[in-house]
Amino acid sequence: MNIDTTNTSKLALVGNPNVGKSVIFGLLTGKYVTVSNYPGTTVEVSKGVYKGHDGGIEVIDTPGSNSLIPLSEDEAVARDILLENYDKRIIQVIDAKNLRRGLLITTQIAEMGLPVLLVLNMWDELLDRGMNVDINALQDAVKSPIVKTIATHKVGFRELFNSIPLASVPELQINYGKFIEEGITDITKILNNATVVNDRALAIMLLSHDESLEKKLMVKLPDNSLQEIARIREDVQRHFSNPLSYVISIKRSHFVDSLIEEVTTAVGNKVETRPFTRGIFFFFLVPLAAFFIGYKLISLLMFVISMKWSISEIFDYVIKLSAGGIMSLCFTWYLYKTEFKARRNINEVLGRITMHPLAAFPLLITILWIVYKWVGEFGSGVCVDFLENKIFGSAEIPSDGFDLCIYIPFLKKIYTFTHVNFQGINYYIGLLAQKVISKDNLLYELFLSEQSGLIRVGLTYAIAIVFPIVGFFFLAFGIMEDSGYLPRLAVMVDKIFKRIGLNGKAVLPMVLGLGCDTMATMTTRILNTKKERIIATLLLALAVPCSAQLGVIASVLGSISGIYFAAYALIICSQLLFVGYLSSIILPGAPSDFLMEIPPFRMPKLSNIFIKTFYRVNWFMKEAVPLFVLGTLVLFVATKLGVLSFIERMGKPVILHFLGLPVETTRGFILGFLRRDYGAVSIFKVLEEQGGGHGIDPKQLLVSLVVITLFIPCIANFFVMIKERGTKNAFLMFAFILPYSILIGGLLRIVLRVF
Amino acid sequence: MSMIESCHEELLELIWTIDEERGETDKELLMKKEGSASAEDYLQTLINNGYISVKDNKVILTEKGQEEARLIIRRHRLAERLLHDVLEVKDETMDSSACEFEHFLSEEVTTSICTLLGHPLTCPHGKPIPPGDCCEKANKEIRPVVFPLTELQPGNYAKISYIVTKFHSRMDRLSSMGLLPGVKIHLHQKYPTYVIQMGQTQIAIDSTVARDIYVRQG
Repeated sequence: MNIDTTNTSKLALVGNPNVGKSVIFGLLTGKYVTVSNYPGTTVEVSKGVYKGHDGGIEVIDTPGSNSLIPLSEDEAVARDILLENYDKRIIQVIDAKNLRRGLLITTQIAEMGLPVLLVLNMWDELLDRGMNVDINALQDAVKSPIVKTIATHKVGFRELFNSIPLASVPELQINYGKFIEEGITDITKILNNATVVNDRALAIMLLSHDESLEKKLMVKLPDNSLQEIARIREDVQRHFSNPLSYVISIKRSHFVDSLIEEVTTAVGNKVETRPFTRGIFFFFLVPLAAFFIGYKLISLLMFVISMKWSISEIFDYVIKLSAGGIMSLCFTWYLYKTEFKARRNINEVLGRITMHPLAAFPLLITILWIVYKWVGEFGSGVCVDFLENKIFGSAEIPSDGFDLCIYIPFLKKIYTFTHVNFQGINYYIGLLAQKVISKDNLLYELFLSEQSGLIRVGLTYAIAIVFPIVGFFFLAFGIMEDSGYLPRLAVMVDKIFKRIGLNGKAVLPMVLGLGCDTMATMTTRILNTKKERIIATLLLALAVPCSAQLGVIASVLGSISGIYFAAYALIICSQLLFVGYLSSIILPGAPSDFLMEIPPFRMPKLSNIFIKTFYRVNWFMKEAVPLFVLGTLVLFVATKLGVLSFIERMGKPVILHFLGLPVETTRGFILGFLRRDYGAVSIFKVLEEQGGGHGIDPKQLLVSLVVITLFIPCIANFFVMIKERGTKNAFLMFAFILPYSILIGGLLRIVLRVF
Repeated sequence: MSMIESCHEELLELIWTIDEERGETDKELLMKKEGSASAEDYLQTLINNGYISVKDNKVILTEKGQEEARLIIRRHRLAERLLHDVLEVKDETMDSSACEFEHFLSEEVTTSICTLLGHPLTCPHGKPIPPGDCCEKANKEIRPVVFPLTELQPGNYAKISYIVTKFHSRMDRLSSMGLLPGVKIHLHQKYPTYVIQMGQTQIAIDSTVARDIYVRQG
């Protein structure tokens, strides 16, 4: 059968991590995949269609890898696509300033005998660094078409599109030396064109001891072939003291090095920041920011200790100002001495200071504080209040509307334009419903009851509470991600993470977990070993509160006392470290190396951050809203059938006698399975009622909030745990977390009695 | 070239040490210290081969003798250092073994040992080790020796010499990143984690990995 090649051929995007494959994929297909300045973000293969080619051609975006000889299952993805049995062309995306690492892959593609188009992306960054690549010389050497692009600015795309049909096999042949070449010849005899792939390429992979490839070849080759190949490999290995894969890599590296030498030139004039901007940065922005950092750090400290010791206002002010001054002096002097004189540009300075052994820590705390203010106070405070109470409101009581006003800074006045007489969506729906059915009707209660109505509670919570918090968090997260701050954070925490069986790389899922544990559990795939993935999943479920929950807890505890919030943070962190440490000892397997590329510090593109946030929130809402509604339904049915009061009775001994909490809080813990933040609110309300006129008992509150934080993950998270880690592991974690959180709560109660 | 036997080497060594201690060597004292019956014969052989001359009952090393004795002493004391510092041998064993070492170490091996030990200036007893060519080179180039990345000071440039690791996967990971012998790197910082720059790529690595990467400064 004669197959028309244009219909079956595919286009595969290949390249090192963080070179911009996803951006180019987006431009080719019009499909969005998460674009990020964090290596290894693409974990799944995305497929789309490029319409420019006659009849359309399928485009595949592969996860970035540094070598086509895979080291892990994830890296095998790119290789496997290239080995599949169909006509294909490759677009290899190369970071122009890191040409060497790109060409290491090109040589492997050449060995596979696949037609390739080389895209030298981030051409602007290459020029900024005062380097140049002689495209013509490179093209003469490689013999494949080469285009230069700046993908994020859509520069060079017409050329890219036009060059796709010209893709050809690079003429790069590496001589690996007598012994290895003999081995290659021997293995090719065994392979004997059994697969569609070039035998030489396979032989080199087999000599490098690529086990996943051997498994694939097993079915295609005659019996005993693999043993024969193993024997040849051992024969060749005898001539070298280092592993063959290493010897092959060195040969390849030398080959590429000599190629690079011919084509790259250092122009020498690095693009420098303009003197005026530099002046402003070093002598105005840095002192100002450092003053702010010092001031804030001390303020936070004072806030925590202000409960124990009262400090006079003037003294307090003097301390804060002097801390700001000292910090400002230190930073400015240090940066002036090391960076200003070295004439580094601002992005480089920021890139270095954010992982400086000393300076990075105050920066980190300040950044966390800003994120907290942004997400915790503005997002989950102001915005949630407005959406929940004013826009959605209650079905029974009108919300009284709100003022459309503007706050004028400096004058400290609020100017009101008009009063909007909007009583809340739920109120209007309630009014409408009451025209048809009475308030006691089961149907009315199902949708609009104050405790478990599908619209009143499920939908309102999803949209009015979770949506703004998650949205604000992802905006902040997107900025940290795209600026390159997250990988630097990985450098900062690597030492600590090592202790809990992870390494710095796990910073991405952990920080993302502060937004949404469900989404974070999915990204644990970027971790290297199974052990690390299990530990990260467990810790996310146990001790990383999501933004919604953290927002509620911070506002509840913060309103009572700083020291209790500090105690809360301390307990949760210590549990994170303790359980992590234990599981790193108990679970088998060695820790994996922290070996991570740190992308340059870049000014984040706002459009990309907004698009990314939109897609993330969109995904989240699609996942979360049905679950909320489902959860509320379960709650409703449980209430009606009396299951809830049954569980309350069952939980009574533990809740009342072990944790020392009122029985009514049981309901809060059950709600916590649906929404952790929801549970926290409900517990707070119960405790408030119990306290009556005396106010809330902070010790009870602390105990209950620690338990609800450590308590079982929400339904959505649990489903993802099952999906990612398997049913058995998920239930094991569940079985551990449930009693453990109660145990810690009980112990905490005993400890608190002493004070 | 006339080869001298180990017994003659011992005698030359003894003359050097006595010279070192007293500034001159008395023939009587030398004979007493040597204590062997055929000491006179050995002395005669050395005189015949032009290593020493005897004048006024004093034994004097000729230029050729100086050169030869220097090398013997160098081998002996380097061997002591090796046994003492690296192999951690007990003192008595160290002395007797070092005496044997000095006779069969070739020039090349001596240089390697000297480089390995970082061109030491003195033996474990505190006596000076005569410097060889390699030591002079070392003085000029300041630590040409290969050392683990962990020893490199932040801010410096180095070239990867080799990677030694027990873990296959670590080696593969490093080499797929392009961290291979011959590659020039720049160490940015050591704490909290090692950050190196290779070309335009910044890479963060654990100290455990950094320990396996051996570099040559410059």
